[in-house]
Amino acid sequence: MRNSLIAVFLLLCLTNPANASAGSWRELTPAQQEALAPLSQQWDSLPELQRNRLLETAKHYPRLTHEKKQRFQSRLTAWSKLTPEQRKAAREKFHAFSKVPAEHRERVKQMVKQNQAIAAQPPASGIPTTTPATQP
Amino acid sequence: MNTELNTDKIAQLLNRSTQQLDTRIVSALNLARNNALNNQRAYAPAYAHAHSHGTARWTHWLMPHSTQQWIAGGLLVAAIIGGANFWHHAQEQQISELDVAILTDELPIEVFVD
Repeated sequence: MRNSLIAVFLLLCLTNPANASAGSWRELTPAQQEALAPLSQQWDSLPELQRNRLLETAKHYPRLTHEKKQRFQSRLTAWSKLTPEQRKAAREKFHAFSKVPAEHRERVKQMVKQNQAIAAQPPASGIPTTTPATQP
Repeated sequence: MNTELNTDKIAQLLNRSTQQLDTRIVSALNLARNNALNNQRAYAPAYAHAHSHGTARWTHWLMPHSTQQWIAGGLLVAAIIGGANFWHHAQEQQISELDVAILTDELPIEVFVD
Protein backbone atom coordinates (compact mmCIF):
# COMPACT_ATOMS: atom_id res chain seq x y z
CA MET A 1 0.00 0.00 0.00
CA ARG A 2 2.70 2.46 1.06
CA ASN A 3 4.84 1.59 -1.92
CA SER A 4 1.98 2.12 -4.33
CA LEU A 5 1.19 5.50 -2.75
CA ILE A 6 4.83 6.55 -2.98
CA ALA A 7 4.83 5.44 -6.63
CA VAL A 8 1.75 7.61 -7.28
CA PHE A 9 3.48 10.64 -5.72
CA LEU A 10 6.59 10.10 -7.80
CA LEU A 11 4.44 9.78 -10.90
CA LEU A 12 2.67 13.03 -10.00
CA CYS A 13 6.02 14.77 -9.64
CA LEU A 14 7.35 13.39 -12.91
CA THR A 15 4.22 14.23 -14.87
CA ASN A 16 4.23 17.78 -13.53
CA PRO A 17 3.45 19.98 -16.57
CA ALA A 18 5.87 22.60 -15.22
CA ASN A 19 8.68 20.13 -15.90
CA ALA A 20 7.72 19.74 -19.56
CA SER A 21 10.71 20.69 -21.64
CA ALA A 22 10.60 22.72 -24.85
CA GLY A 23 11.98 20.79 -27.78
CA SER A 24 14.44 21.77 -30.47
CA TRP A 25 13.44 24.05 -33.36
CA ARG A 26 12.64 21.06 -35.59
CA GLU A 27 10.28 19.65 -32.97
CA LEU A 28 8.12 22.78 -32.90
CA THR A 29 4.76 22.80 -34.66
CA PRO A 30 4.41 24.87 -37.87
CA ALA A 31 2.29 27.40 -35.95
CA GLN A 32 4.99 27.78 -33.27
CA GLN A 33 7.70 28.07 -35.94
CA GLU A 34 5.71 30.78 -37.71
CA ALA A 35 5.29 32.83 -34.53
CA LEU A 36 8.90 32.42 -33.45
CA ALA A 37 10.48 32.55 -36.92
CA PRO A 38 12.94 35.37 -36.08
CA LEU A 39 14.49 33.08 -33.44
CA SER A 40 14.96 30.04 -35.68
CA GLN A 41 18.75 30.37 -35.69
CA GLN A 42 19.32 30.79 -31.96
CA TRP A 43 16.34 28.74 -30.69
CA ASP A 44 18.32 25.62 -29.83
CA SER A 45 20.84 27.62 -27.81
CA LEU A 46 18.27 29.49 -25.72
CA PRO A 47 17.84 28.49 -22.05
CA GLU A 48 15.00 26.04 -21.46
CA LEU A 49 13.02 28.40 -19.23
CA GLN A 50 13.15 31.08 -21.91
CA ARG A 51 12.07 28.61 -24.60
CA ASN A 52 9.12 27.49 -22.45
CA ARG A 53 8.06 31.09 -21.91
CA LEU A 54 8.40 31.92 -25.60
CA LEU A 55 6.24 28.90 -26.45
CA GLU A 56 3.61 30.17 -24.02
CA THR A 57 3.86 33.58 -25.68
CA ALA A 58 3.56 32.03 -29.15
CA LYS A 59 0.15 30.61 -28.19
CA HIS A 60 -1.25 34.15 -28.37
CA TYR A 61 0.21 34.84 -31.83
CA PRO A 62 -2.63 33.45 -34.01
CA ARG A 63 -5.14 35.79 -32.33
CA LEU A 64 -3.09 38.94 -32.96
CA THR A 65 -3.94 41.49 -35.64
CA HIS A 66 -1.65 41.80 -38.66
CA GLU A 67 -0.06 44.96 -37.26
CA LYS A 68 0.57 43.36 -33.87
CA LYS A 69 2.01 40.25 -35.51
CA GLN A 70 4.52 42.45 -37.30
CA ARG A 71 5.44 44.25 -34.07
CA PHE A 72 5.72 40.92 -32.26
CA GLN A 73 8.14 39.47 -34.78
CA SER A 74 10.20 42.62 -35.20
CA ARG A 75 10.79 42.86 -31.43
CA LEU A 76 11.27 39.17 -30.70
CA THR A 77 15.01 39.04 -31.36
CA ALA A 78 15.77 42.11 -29.24
CA TRP A 79 13.51 40.73 -26.49
CA SER A 80 15.26 37.36 -26.46
CA LYS A 81 18.67 39.04 -26.18
CA LEU A 82 17.75 40.77 -22.92
CA THR A 83 18.87 39.25 -19.66
CA PRO A 84 16.19 37.60 -17.47
CA GLU A 85 16.55 40.50 -15.03
CA GLN A 86 15.97 43.06 -17.80
CA ARG A 87 12.89 41.21 -18.99
CA LYS A 88 11.59 41.00 -15.42
CA ALA A 89 12.16 44.73 -14.92
CA ALA A 90 10.45 45.47 -18.26
CA ARG A 91 7.41 43.43 -17.21
CA GLU A 92 7.23 45.31 -13.92
CA LYS A 93 7.51 48.67 -15.68
CA PHE A 94 4.89 47.72 -18.24
CA HIS A 95 2.56 46.51 -15.49
CA ALA A 96 3.07 49.74 -13.55
CA PHE A 97 2.55 51.79 -16.73
CA SER A 98 -0.72 49.99 -17.45
CA LYS A 99 -2.03 51.23 -14.08
CA VAL A 100 -1.38 54.87 -15.01
CA PRO A 101 -4.56 56.78 -16.07
CA ALA A 102 -5.28 56.49 -19.81
CA GLU A 103 -4.88 60.24 -20.31
CA HIS A 104 -1.32 60.18 -18.93
CA ARG A 105 -0.48 57.08 -20.93
CA GLU A 106 -1.60 58.79 -24.13
CA ARG A 107 0.58 61.79 -23.31
CA VAL A 108 3.60 59.55 -22.80
CA LYS A 109 2.87 57.76 -26.08
CA GLN A 110 2.70 61.09 -27.91
CA MET A 111 6.02 62.16 -26.38
CA VAL A 112 7.68 58.90 -27.39
CA LYS A 113 6.30 59.20 -30.92
CA GLN A 114 7.64 62.76 -31.18
CA ASN A 115 11.06 61.64 -29.99
CA GLN A 116 11.05 58.78 -32.47
CA ALA A 117 10.11 61.16 -35.28
CA ILE A 118 12.95 63.52 -34.34
CA ALA A 119 15.42 60.64 -34.16
CA ALA A 120 14.28 59.36 -37.57
CA GLN A 121 14.78 62.74 -39.26
CA PRO A 122 17.89 63.11 -41.48
CA PRO A 123 20.58 65.58 -40.35
CA ALA A 124 19.58 69.24 -40.82
CA SER A 125 20.17 70.48 -44.41
CA GLY A 126 22.61 73.33 -45.10
CA ILE A 127 25.20 72.01 -42.70
CA PRO A 128 27.82 70.13 -44.65
CA THR A 129 28.64 66.80 -43.16
CA THR A 130 31.99 66.59 -44.95
CA THR A 131 34.42 69.36 -45.83
CA PRO A 132 34.37 70.23 -49.56
CA ALA A 133 37.47 69.45 -51.56
CA THR A 134 39.71 72.51 -51.95
CA GLN A 135 40.48 73.75 -55.44
CA PRO A 136 44.15 73.96 -56.34
CA MET B 1 6.62 24.24 46.80
CA ASN B 2 7.90 23.80 43.31
CA THR B 3 5.32 21.74 41.38
CA GLU B 4 6.95 21.95 37.96
CA LEU B 5 7.82 18.55 36.60
CA ASN B 6 9.67 17.79 33.46
CA THR B 7 10.16 14.44 31.75
CA ASP B 8 13.54 13.89 33.41
CA LYS B 9 12.10 14.44 36.89
CA ILE B 10 9.20 12.11 36.13
CA ALA B 11 11.66 9.47 34.88
CA GLN B 12 13.73 9.84 38.04
CA LEU B 13 10.62 9.49 40.22
CA LEU B 14 9.52 6.41 38.33
CA ASN B 15 12.98 4.86 38.58
CA ARG B 16 13.07 5.48 42.32
CA SER B 17 9.56 4.07 42.71
CA THR B 18 10.36 0.91 40.73
CA GLN B 19 13.36 0.28 42.96
CA GLN B 20 11.00 0.23 45.92
CA LEU B 21 8.50 -2.16 44.31
CA ASP B 22 7.92 -5.68 45.43
CA THR B 23 9.74 -8.33 43.33
CA ARG B 24 6.45 -9.99 42.36
CA ILE B 25 5.04 -6.71 41.11
CA VAL B 26 8.23 -6.02 39.14
CA SER B 27 8.11 -9.42 37.48
CA ALA B 28 4.38 -9.00 36.73
CA LEU B 29 5.09 -5.61 35.13
CA ASN B 30 7.96 -7.15 33.16
CA LEU B 31 5.66 -9.88 31.90
CA ALA B 32 2.99 -7.36 30.92
CA ARG B 33 5.60 -5.26 29.11
CA ASN B 34 6.90 -8.27 27.20
CA ASN B 35 3.37 -9.28 26.24
CA ALA B 36 2.66 -5.76 25.00
CA LEU B 37 5.88 -5.72 22.99
CA ASN B 38 5.11 -9.10 21.45
CA ASN B 39 1.78 -7.76 20.20
CA GLN B 40 3.50 -4.85 18.43
CA ARG B 41 4.72 -5.12 14.84
CA ALA B 42 8.33 -6.20 14.54
CA TYR B 43 9.60 -2.82 13.30
CA ALA B 44 7.85 -0.69 15.90
CA PRO B 45 9.90 -1.44 19.05
CA ALA B 46 13.14 -1.49 17.06
CA TYR B 47 12.38 1.92 15.57
CA ALA B 48 11.20 3.34 18.86
CA HIS B 49 14.19 1.95 20.70
CA ALA B 50 16.74 3.02 18.11
CA HIS B 51 15.36 6.55 17.90
CA SER B 52 14.10 7.17 21.37
CA HIS B 53 15.71 10.61 21.60
CA GLY B 54 15.75 13.90 19.73
CA THR B 55 14.02 14.65 16.46
CA ALA B 56 13.36 10.98 15.69
CA ARG B 57 10.47 11.14 18.16
CA TRP B 58 8.82 13.74 15.98
CA THR B 59 9.40 11.82 12.76
CA HIS B 60 7.99 8.72 14.39
CA TRP B 61 4.97 10.70 15.54
CA LEU B 62 4.55 12.22 12.07
CA MET B 63 4.83 8.89 10.23
CA PRO B 64 1.43 7.48 9.24
CA HIS B 65 0.63 4.25 11.04
CA SER B 66 -2.55 3.10 9.35
CA THR B 67 -3.80 2.84 5.77
CA GLN B 68 -6.24 5.70 6.37
CA GLN B 69 -3.41 7.91 7.57
CA TRP B 70 -1.35 7.00 4.51
CA ILE B 71 -4.28 7.83 2.22
CA ALA B 72 -4.91 11.12 4.03
CA GLY B 73 -1.21 11.98 3.79
CA GLY B 74 -1.19 11.03 0.12
CA LEU B 75 -4.19 13.22 -0.60
CA LEU B 76 -2.55 16.09 1.24
CA VAL B 77 0.68 15.74 -0.75
CA ALA B 78 -1.30 15.41 -4.00
CA ALA B 79 -3.26 18.55 -3.12
CA ILE B 80 -0.03 20.44 -2.37
CA ILE B 81 1.57 19.30 -5.66
CA GLY B 82 -1.61 20.13 -7.57
CA GLY B 83 -1.85 23.55 -5.93
CA ALA B 84 1.80 24.31 -6.66
CA ASN B 85 1.32 23.26 -10.30
CA PHE B 86 -1.77 25.41 -10.64
CA TRP B 87 -0.04 28.42 -9.08
CA HIS B 88 3.03 27.93 -11.29
CA HIS B 89 0.89 27.60 -14.43
CA ALA B 90 -1.15 30.69 -13.55
CA GLN B 91 2.02 32.68 -12.95
CA GLU B 92 3.59 31.55 -16.25
CA GLN B 93 0.38 32.44 -18.08
CA GLN B 94 0.42 35.90 -16.55
CA ILE B 95 4.05 36.36 -17.61
CA SER B 96 3.34 35.24 -21.17
CA GLU B 97 0.39 37.64 -21.40
CA LEU B 98 2.62 40.48 -20.23
CA ASP B 99 5.31 39.48 -22.72
CA VAL B 100 2.83 39.54 -25.59
CA ALA B 101 1.53 42.91 -24.43
CA ILE B 102 5.07 44.35 -24.34
CA LEU B 103 5.98 42.85 -27.71
CA THR B 104 2.85 44.21 -29.40
CA ASP B 105 2.38 47.53 -27.61
CA GLU B 106 2.44 50.86 -29.42
CA LEU B 107 5.43 51.85 -27.33
CA PRO B 108 8.76 50.27 -28.25
CA ILE B 109 10.31 47.85 -25.78
CA GLU B 110 13.21 50.27 -25.20
CA VAL B 111 10.79 52.38 -23.16
CA PHE B 112 10.43 49.58 -20.63
CA VAL B 113 13.99 48.26 -20.73
CA ASP B 114 16.72 49.87 -18.66
